[in-house]
Amino acid sequence: MSATSEAAKTAEATEEQHDEHHEHHEQSFWRTYIFSTDHKVIGMQYGFCGLAFLFFGLCLIATMRWSMAYEGQAVPFVGPLLEAMLGNNVAPGGVMSAELYNVFGAMHGTIMVFMGIVPAAFAAFGNYVVPLQIGAVDMAFPRVNMASFWAFFFGCVIMMVSFFIPGGAAQAGWTSYSPLASVIPTDGQTYWLIGMIMLITSSLLGAVNFIATIVNLRAPGMTWLRMPFFVWAQFITAFLLLLAFPPLEAAGILQLMDRVLETSFFLPTGLVVGGQDVDVSGGGSPLLWQHLFWFLAHPEVYVLVLPGMGIVAEIIANNTRKPLWGYKYLVGSIVVLGFLAFIVWAHHMYMTGMGTVISAFFQTTTLIISIPSIIILTCLFISLWGGSIRFNTPMLFALAFLPMFGIGGLTGLPLGFNFSDVALHDSYYVIAHFHYVVAPGTIFAIFAGVYYWFPKMTGRKMSERWGRVHFWASLIFMNLIFMPMFAQGMAGMSRRMSDGGATYSLANPDNADITVGALGDTIMGLNVSISAAAWAMLIAQLPFIINLFWSVKHGEKVESDNPWQATTLEWETPTPPPHGNFIKEIKVYRDPYEYSVPGAKEDFTPQAQPAK
Amino acid sequence: MEIPYTVKPRPDTGLYNGKLGIWLFLASEVMLFGALFSSYVLLRVGAEPGTWSMGLMDIKVGAGNTMVLIASSMFIVLAWAELKQGNLAGYKKWKWATIACAVVFLCVKWSYEWPSKFKHYDVWLNSATVLHEKFEKGYHETASHSEDGDDEHGHGDAAGGDVEKYVEGIYTTRFFKESSEASKTAFKKAWDNGTLALSGHINAYEEARIDVRITGWKADAGVSEADADKALAKFSDADAAELRQNGGSLPEKTDYDSAKRAEYALGQAGFTVALSVVGYERVEAHPWVWRTKRVTEDIGGKPRVRSIELGLDHSHHHVITLDAGDIKRLSAYEPKHSTFFGIYYTITGLHAAHVFGGILIMLYNMLPIGLALWHKDREQYTNRIETFGLFWHFVDLVWIFLFPILYIL
Repeated sequence: MSATSEAAKTAEATEEQHDEHHEHHEQSFWRTYIFSTDHKVIGMQYGFCGLAFLFFGLCLIATMRWSMAYEGQAVPFVGPLLEAMLGNNVAPGGVMSAELYNVFGAMHGTIMVFMGIVPAAFAAFGNYVVPLQIGAVDMAFPRVNMASFWAFFFGCVIMMVSFFIPGGAAQAGWTSYSPLASVIPTDGQTYWLIGMIMLITSSLLGAVNFIATIVNLRAPGMTWLRMPFFVWAQFITAFLLLLAFPPLEAAGILQLMDRVLETSFFLPTGLVVGGQDVDVSGGGSPLLWQHLFWFLAHPEVYVLVLPGMGIVAEIIANNTRKPLWGYKYLVGSIVVLGFLAFIVWAHHMYMTGMGTVISAFFQTTTLIISIPSIIILTCLFISLWGGSIRFNTPMLFALAFLPMFGIGGLTGLPLGFNFSDVALHDSYYVIAHFHYVVAPGTIFAIFAGVYYWFPKMTGRKMSERWGRVHFWASLIFMNLIFMPMFAQGMAGMSRRMSDGGATYSLANPDNADITVGALGDTIMGLNVSISAAAWAMLIAQLPFIINLFWSVKHGEKVESDNPWQATTLEWETPTPPPHGNFIKEIKVYRDPYEYSVPGAKEDFTPQAQPAK
Repeated sequence: MEIPYTVKPRPDTGLYNGKLGIWLFLASEVMLFGALFSSYVLLRVGAEPGTWSMGLMDIKVGAGNTMVLIASSMFIVLAWAELKQGNLAGYKKWKWATIACAVVFLCVKWSYEWPSKFKHYDVWLNSATVLHEKFEKGYHETASHSEDGDDEHGHGDAAGGDVEKYVEGIYTTRFFKESSEASKTAFKKAWDNGTLALSGHINAYEEARIDVRITGWKADAGVSEADADKALAKFSDADAAELRQNGGSLPEKTDYDSAKRAEYALGQAGFTVALSVVGYERVEAHPWVWRTKRVTEDIGGKPRVRSIELGLDHSHHHVITLDAGDIKRLSAYEPKHSTFFGIYYTITGLHAAHVFGGILIMLYNMLPIGLALWHKDREQYTNRIETFGLFWHFVDLVWIFLFPILYIL
């Protein structure tokens, strides 16, 4: 049977299914596309919001980079806009004030982490792909799934509204350390906390749903070790979200109490703000906030990375046309990683003086957790060996993920040792490190996933040519942005400086005599080149955005339900999959990556293909 | 499209989806309350000696509420068991009993336990000398009475010794439970530094009467003369134009709220306004949740409340009068009082929210819209009550941990 006639047949079947569906219960536009309980629609809603917020977060940092490179000068293009929208005390004459820099900085982190990457990498791909890959008709709790999305959406609305209230959004960094976050008089932090509580609620509902779905809705024959690695990654991620987020919710409630009911959970005795005693009881602990925050925020790093690893593993197996090397090691490593992720958090707190014994403990666990991460990366590298690799756009992004994430991971080791962290803490080195993990790491994996699964979602491929333009431009500018930051950080440049460290470095004409502690001209000059690369990075996303929307209607049509000739179950569905996903009974007979099986007719043997 | 295992358990996992879902949800709840309990431990361990209240709670009421919740946990199981046997009438009986218990629990908390605390105050003073004098006034008679015939406490000067001993007794019970070297040291320090608080009810207070005076009008404030006069007319019958040009008094001896309202509204209309305290009026009342600022707020150099009459604990018939100038901080037993009360209200509040949510779910299940499922699929409805029961047991369990750590320890 030729691929074309097969596609035609499934298309027909889809049509039938669709008609049948309509007969039973006509669904309005609102129920189908807005308040949908279908995991695929919810996945795309999350995906759309996530990508939009990633772009918005990039715009925020692009604006901040102007302030760092050309402090005190009006921001071109957006300066007048800022002044008009936020008021002339916030952006006088289009110049970014230090307060506005703080607002954008705090919100850049918050938006990228909680409203960009988690929804895009975990919720979007997880919702769309996981039920398909395990052969389920939907998530276990479709209405809870919808509630999860709307809680997320509502949280995002609160966060966005907070930009426009008097005083602007939260200013205390995405980490919101108390006492600073508790005593800032503007209301932005309160909005932030309420928004976070909504986002956390959304994550909890999502996590419960993912785990229940994976445990209970696997198709017959889909045993634990026949699950695609992506499903494993989502499974572990869901556990991290389920168990690590509630402590931040607790912390959020406590900080909200501090701000609204004037308790002092995080405020120490004798706190003086602006030369005045604060009318609180005292007796609180600033360290408590940091413990509760990082108890979430370190597992959160794995929440950001694991889905990316899952996506990359799928694409590498598919495009090397051979099974993943060491599937069981991968699964074992990711499970261990999930456990260890809960006992490394205080390596963010070496500088707090919490004591050498505690530091030594967390230093040890931190270095142990690098072992499973390295096993995963190594397995993926070895998987490339001897493959006949297809270099399409998703594969390019997946391949770039490996060294980029590798750089991010290895540069983390000096931060894991407390003796070297003392020098590097809160410097640009840290920024470079974690951005290598999530920006050319996870975000590249997100792009890879979009290019890879787009044909299943729409029945059309995205443009390969513009995909390559997007890839090479992103790869180059990504490195031009973050590589120099290692140098800046090691030279001692602190993060969160609205002037790019100029005042702090003392390297200005008024202080010509001071040479100790000053940052050299080269280091300061990098601010300009990094900023230029950041703006180029912003422009480099335009081909992607245009490609994404253009291809929905005009992309090259796929002629089969399985255009990449993949083995996993999502390609057994019609394209795009109807409500209920599969039109035939699905049963699993084999491991997830049976590519190039000797003796097989084709170089891929789908999981659903019965043994002869 | 039919989602499998919504009713029947999946053979290899032994769970239907709902049960798996609720267990996962409870796992996250364990982490949520676990984080709050950990915070409690960390705050308590880190608290300075003599700042963590113990034994302030009414153990009898708490124990009663504990029994009520445990009973409700039992009733929900009985309700479920009736459903399993297909007896809807029996189910309804036990379910209403569960709801009644939950309602009683919340009523005790929200109409008695919390509000009674909002009327009880601790007041810290600026000076140790004044503090000792107030203690002397408040406790002297009781102290000499209770120390009668007790010659163990023979030290200290004749005037203050007995009272100091008496106050130390109260202090020790509250912050240390029983006397020890540590409690003696902490008390001595707090007594000498004057960081002890006087606690009791505010029985009466002297509240300011305020004169509002117009001192000028800015023509360039962007308000027309007509509008300014209109704003004035709301507060005074006098000739508006005259007042605007030459200034003058509005109706005199008004209360604080009216004065502030006039100050704000007239300020918006371009007037400069001066408030001055012209006298005080004694009010007999038991005010709720006053903050320090409520008492000490400066109005033209005088405090909003000149003095408060505090009926001291353990001798409510002994009323002492505290001047605003002596007061450093004042707080009802509300969340901002201390980290102990902060965590007390946070954890019990979050728990109460769970109880409240539980009541809403139970009511939904009892309404025709919820019961429709029983008539459609009995097993699914029974499962729903079973999963709710799991949640309800969890809520009960949280309280069983809460009660000892907040009421007894």
